[in-house]
Amino acid sequence: MKITDYRLETYLEQMDRPLGDSNGPEGDDLIVSNILIIETDEGISGVAPLGNKQVDNLFKIIENKDPRETFTHWQNMIRYAFKGGDEGEVHNALSAIDIALWDIKAKINNEPLWKTLGSDDPKCKIYASDIGYCLDDEELFKFFERMSDNGVDSGKVKIGLSFDDDIRRIGIVYEALAKNHKRPRIMIDSNEYWSVKKAIQSINKIEEKFDIFWAEEPARRWDYRGLNLVSKNIKAAVATGENLNNVGDFYPLIDNQSVDILNVSSYQSGITGLRQIGNFAYAYELPVTTMNCIGNYNAQIATSIPNHLMMEVVDPGREKAYSKWNNNIDDGFVIMDETPGIGLIVDENKLKEMQNTDYGRKPKRPWFRREGAGLYIKELEKKEVKWK
Amino acid sequence: MKIIELKTTLFEFQLDRVMGDANSPRGRTRSASCLVELITDEGLIGLSIGGGNSIPQIQSLYEGIIKGKDPRSVFSLWKKMVEKFFKGGHDGLANDAISVLDVALWDLKSKINEEPLWKTLGASKKDVNVYASDIALPMGDLEIGNWYKKMAKNYGFKSAKLKVGLDQDSDLRRLEIMHDALIMNTKDPILYIDSNEYWSPKQTIRKVSEMEERFSLGWIEEPARRWDFLGLKKVSEALKTPVCAGENLDTLGDFLPYFHHRSADVIQVSHGMTGITGALQIADAAYGLELPVTLGGSTGIIHAHLANAIPNCITVEIPHPEPETKVYEWDVKIENGYAKLGDKHGLGITINYEELAKAKVNKISSGSGPSPYGRRPGAGLYEIPPSKDEIKEASSK
Repeated sequence: MKITDYRLETYLEQMDRPLGDSNGPEGDDLIVSNILIIETDEGISGVAPLGNKQVDNLFKIIENKDPRETFTHWQNMIRYAFKGGDEGEVHNALSAIDIALWDIKAKINNEPLWKTLGSDDPKCKIYASDIGYCLDDEELFKFFERMSDNGVDSGKVKIGLSFDDDIRRIGIVYEALAKNHKRPRIMIDSNEYWSVKKAIQSINKIEEKFDIFWAEEPARRWDYRGLNLVSKNIKAAVATGENLNNVGDFYPLIDNQSVDILNVSSYQSGITGLRQIGNFAYAYELPVTTMNCIGNYNAQIATSIPNHLMMEVVDPGREKAYSKWNNNIDDGFVIMDETPGIGLIVDENKLKEMQNTDYGRKPKRPWFRREGAGLYIKELEKKEVKWK
Repeated sequence: MKIIELKTTLFEFQLDRVMGDANSPRGRTRSASCLVELITDEGLIGLSIGGGNSIPQIQSLYEGIIKGKDPRSVFSLWKKMVEKFFKGGHDGLANDAISVLDVALWDLKSKINEEPLWKTLGASKKDVNVYASDIALPMGDLEIGNWYKKMAKNYGFKSAKLKVGLDQDSDLRRLEIMHDALIMNTKDPILYIDSNEYWSPKQTIRKVSEMEERFSLGWIEEPARRWDFLGLKKVSEALKTPVCAGENLDTLGDFLPYFHHRSADVIQVSHGMTGITGALQIADAAYGLELPVTLGGSTGIIHAHLANAIPNCITVEIPHPEPETKVYEWDVKIENGYAKLGDKHGLGITINYEELAKAKVNKISSGSGPSPYGRRPGAGLYEIPPSKDEIKEASSK
């Protein structure tokens, strides 16, 4: 079997609800998405719900090659990106290609990816995550209540800009999850908005009221000393890593005990890279937690990672380009089925329809880093979020 | 697809040379092993060679975890095996049993996919860098010279390893012999040495420093005890030669002190470390720390399959470029100093059952194990060179 061609589809999608964090609290429901489709000479094609124009440069490395040789293709792409590094646009494209190739590899075996990766477990434990600074109290409660009713016992809430509001909103999340679970796990995420000392002050104050499972990105992604200092001064685990690119980026964090829980995803040099990070963390007895993603396909990889905690589920409704995805959530787990590959089937008609839709406005994301980040807290302005 | 049967067959065979290291200058000429077979309801056989001393553990893991399961779920089965031994630890005989079963499961997984193991692991059919390994300290100078010449001439090796440790003058002389045999293929052969934990860190530093005056060495293997992460680190910091270590560790967790203290410059990895699943984990962790790995000797040269599927492998050890016994054949070929991967499905090992029946034994005889004499007196303290009696016995074999 040979790789013959690829197609990159870009489209704008209106999600069912807006997403926003401490850098973009006003939120937005428009999202720019990409789908990479890699074709073979035997009709099997591989899908990845990301990608960009850099795929064009990388495609010559895999063209006419056997798609099953995923590791070799990954390594050749990494070698190609040597000088500029496995980062930025090339990194995104490289990750997309690796994911699409694993999709093909599993489809050739006529099995879901979780089986190709040697797992016998189609159930991946999940936690609910709002990414919803823009949601008002009622919407926030409803989101976590829905997840709680689905058996989810852990939730992560975006915070960082207003201490009293943050405390109230953490309480809302707790209350919604406590409806079905004694002592639900609560995680907080300030998305690198705080300085190291501000993080220590804020998290300690929060911990006077709540038992926090982890605090995410309490300092900058590369600040291994700052993260280490935070970890020593709070009871919660420090979780970080979502903005790192690959296993090498984790080296200073692991070597300096800067992180207690690693945020990992297949955006970190693809499925191949994600598995490397999982194994690296496993050697150091560190758990990993997979990030949210379009179509929940990280669950396909999670059940063969030896030290995986749970996967983030945001569920904002951004899978309109797919007729099938990993959307079966029950009793706190994503339950995967036998669909071959990563479990995503593209709906070509819906995709075209979205590509031809004029939404009459432009997406606000990606967010700029918010003013004051790492320096001082710039208070939420009235009307910046509808609940203020 | 389900696994429905386990078969284990012990066998022994004669070696092509007298083998041994610093701990066994008397040498041995017999080897023993075990064929472990997992048979599915569709008649596929997943095989693995090893684990002869852990048959009770293999049987127990089979009955409790493997039987009736789909062999494709090798990761989940690996995890259940490892977790079963939580309390006592998944090292020692437990590790031997887990390793041999994990390898047989991978053999099945790739046979089900109708592809060689290297392809299941995502690799391509590239040539793999390899080196010749004597494991023959008991052999005399003339014989060992002839062996290295044969390795260089017939298989094109450009790098090789020498067992050292008992007699510095002899070791220096034999390094020269190994070097001179390899120069038919390259001006700069890579020379590895291995003292098998016989020396203390300071003995290593003295002896290898003296060798470094005449030779540039590829690595010094096991220059201190396997758990002595401070001693290994001390050796690494004192020598120009890289420290290569890890061969006698069993699990990923065992490597944590090495990783944290950077005790070794090259990490030894093998399928004997909780199987292929474990070996890949260790390689990934080493890669995260920018440490290269090397894969040890393996029946069927199955490590050549792994070498192309991990990001940081330097070279693979070859004690036997061709099968040591007629009991099995393999489809990895050694040519021009590289391992050439084959296309047979799975590990690429074929069993000759007639020969197996002839070689079959009920129990392993005491002189056939890999280290029949245990650790040699003087180890870690001072060298005791081979006695006249030991030399006489070795040369008679």
